[in-house]
Amino acid sequence: MTFNRRTLLAAVSAAAILGQPFAAAAADLPRNIRMVIGSTSTGGDTYQSASIVAEALSEKLDVNIKVDAVGAVNGLKALERDSRGTTIMLFHDFAYLAELYGGKGFVNPFEEFKVGATIATNPGNAYLVGANSPYQTMEDILTAAAEGERVRVAIQPGGVSEIGFSAMKNAAKVRAPGSEENIVAVNTGSQSDKNQAMWDGLADVINGSIQANEQFTQLDGDDQKAMRFVWITASPETLQQAPEAGMGQLTRDDMMDYASPETSVTLDGDQDFTFDKEFFLIYNKDMDEAMIEAIDQALAEIYQDGAIQEKQTAAFFTPNFRPTAEAAEHLEEKRETYKKVISEISG
Amino acid sequence: MDILAFISPLFVLLVIGGTLVGIIFGAIPGMTATMAVAVCLPVTYSLGLENGLALLLGLYVGGISGGLVPAILLGIPGTPSSITTTLDGYPMARAGHGEKALRIGICASLVGGLVSLLILDLFAPTLADFAIKFSYVEKFLIILFALSVMAALSSDLLLGIFSGFLGIFISLIGTYDVTKGGNGEWRLIPPGTSYWLESGFSLLPVLIGLFGLAAILDEAETGMKAGMSQKDVDIGKHERFSLSIFRGQWVNLIRSSCIGTFVGILPGVGGSAASILSYSNAKTFSRHPERFGKGEPAGVMASEAGNNGLTGGALVPLLSLGIPGDSTTALLIGAFTLQGIQVGPLFIGNNPVTWDAMIFAMLIANLAMFVLMYFAIRYFAMVVTIPKHILFPVILMMCVIGAYTINYGIMFDVWTLLIFGVFGWLMTKIRLEVAPFIIGFILGPSAEVYFVKTLESFGDLTVFFTKSWIAVLLWVLIALSVGGSAYLQTRKGKSAP
Repeated sequence: MTFNRRTLLAAVSAAAILGQPFAAAAADLPRNIRMVIGSTSTGGDTYQSASIVAEALSEKLDVNIKVDAVGAVNGLKALERDSRGTTIMLFHDFAYLAELYGGKGFVNPFEEFKVGATIATNPGNAYLVGANSPYQTMEDILTAAAEGERVRVAIQPGGVSEIGFSAMKNAAKVRAPGSEENIVAVNTGSQSDKNQAMWDGLADVINGSIQANEQFTQLDGDDQKAMRFVWITASPETLQQAPEAGMGQLTRDDMMDYASPETSVTLDGDQDFTFDKEFFLIYNKDMDEAMIEAIDQALAEIYQDGAIQEKQTAAFFTPNFRPTAEAAEHLEEKRETYKKVISEISG
Repeated sequence: MDILAFISPLFVLLVIGGTLVGIIFGAIPGMTATMAVAVCLPVTYSLGLENGLALLLGLYVGGISGGLVPAILLGIPGTPSSITTTLDGYPMARAGHGEKALRIGICASLVGGLVSLLILDLFAPTLADFAIKFSYVEKFLIILFALSVMAALSSDLLLGIFSGFLGIFISLIGTYDVTKGGNGEWRLIPPGTSYWLESGFSLLPVLIGLFGLAAILDEAETGMKAGMSQKDVDIGKHERFSLSIFRGQWVNLIRSSCIGTFVGILPGVGGSAASILSYSNAKTFSRHPERFGKGEPAGVMASEAGNNGLTGGALVPLLSLGIPGDSTTALLIGAFTLQGIQVGPLFIGNNPVTWDAMIFAMLIANLAMFVLMYFAIRYFAMVVTIPKHILFPVILMMCVIGAYTINYGIMFDVWTLLIFGVFGWLMTKIRLEVAPFIIGFILGPSAEVYFVKTLESFGDLTVFFTKSWIAVLLWVLIALSVGGSAYLQTRKGKSAP
């Protein structure tokens, strides 16, 4: 047998094909997948949740997955261009809230994309007041609004930060129609800006998180920086899954005190409003269903193994796997609820 | 002793290795300290907190410092904070004092890094309390103060200021970003271009286009043979370097280091402002302000001490408030969270070992940066001896790769590089000025946000003058800076034949 260049090339090609991992080949998943995220920060919760799930999926499917923090608009554009499955996205509720709030360049992801599996929840979304604030609870805030007092709430408009504010206005309207006008937004940017708005006396209430603000609640009351939680928006079911020790000096039981049903922000007079910040996958609308099923299957096995839950819990996430069909239904239902809240306060 | 709890050969090796990789990232146009930290962040998970931080802090210090190499030797700022290094470093290199400029820059970087580290170690919580006294009003005035350097950098006052305002105008194209406090609306986007321009023009492609590509186009126009010869670019390796060059400059060095540290402790003001403000002050208080921009060593000192002063300063709000001082320290929060450590006002008290480890890592990183760069100067310097027909295509390729990767693969960033390369080349033809333009471009968005937010929050313009004694002090500095520039221009006009 003589070896020429063509024989050698054929041998190398055959070896390369045989070397492909079975799992990826079976679903025709690309060898290299780019997981874009809807945030440009590589230090935030979206990047962390994406890193954890990308690492687990890479191992399970034996493919390379690289997380790229391209931001919401660029991420959706990249996803729109690629139906081959080489680009997938991981994002959170902002994906549909941005469109509900009329954000430029945002579309309804349930119509324009394929919403995939949920993977984790960040239970930390919270509202705080200064330690020397006259408001001790959400009840005080809503009562003050009903009595004609102007309550200024620092938020970042158009997404996760605003939905709790919309819920406050909605609750005020349900309790005392017209009082919602007394709850006004102070539009700020980052968490730093929201904190600063409180320290400058420009806001009475700020949106924050357990992770970013808990230590400020431990400061002495005479410290200008000292704060107090008044509301944690997560549902009690989600908070029950948080570590018992909680975070810092805020135990899980303490968290439950600031969340529904102990702290009630009504949705419609009967039920409480809750908001869980959930992370989920989004695919190109025309991506092969077999690939999506393969990813779902791999995620099911990963969550069955249990190791990912430990990592997520250590990073203060609540594990939350729902396969694509179930996740899409759940998230669309959530979207409808929030759409109603937003339309109620928009008149 | 606590220090023994974390020091190991691996710890020291990680700091030095991180510094080296950071220097390489900083030295490649388009690559930044932020990118170096982002790339290595996932590795830290398996290293543990102290060792992980050792690597990241090495990358941070190295990344900030490495930018001076291309700024001085090629006239291309390796990072946005090296822009002002280019203004005097590159003219020095062209005049045959490249090696001297590099040594000055490296020494100034060390001073800046060490001064800021000392301030961080001694005063972090106190400074954080001071930093929160800076509201939108004071932050706007700091940006305005930095913008006033546009006048100082202009050869022609009117054209320079016009160029600066053009830079501000172009920087505002795109969405008024909600993450910075905007309303999410598009502005200044020409019809039919929203798909590309809704995120505006990215800073780094603009920067390397204006400084890198424009210079290559200029050389192409001149012709390789008509350009500088090998002899012209002799960087002066036989020139004896003496520390006496710093005589009379210690005030400049310490002031610039403190300005860098101070800008670092103010979240949202931005790292580039540190070197711009330091440079502006050095020029304002110099006995020979007319020499700035033409190869004045004091300019290189101010710029480099300022941008390395930022490194310690930016850690103050991070470790005392849980708020990052710049984009790179924002990534460090990820490293803490990955390890389950909460960063906030109680961090230093609750984590004394980690705090000591960070201070020690910063100290080693600064010393390692100095040793690695100082003794590698002759190798850096070889860059300018590479024939241009080889060097320029390599620079061009690095610029394109840098532009493409800065936002993780957006092709429009490469077009931005090309557009601003051509624009930069044309600017010199119509006597517009690049330095004020880029300063306007960098600081424009912050100026807009803080100005609008001040009006939204306080309702009238008088607050800019009445808010606090800090505001009054800033107005005095702005007046000095603008007045000094106007005086110099007048004197220059009178002395002209």
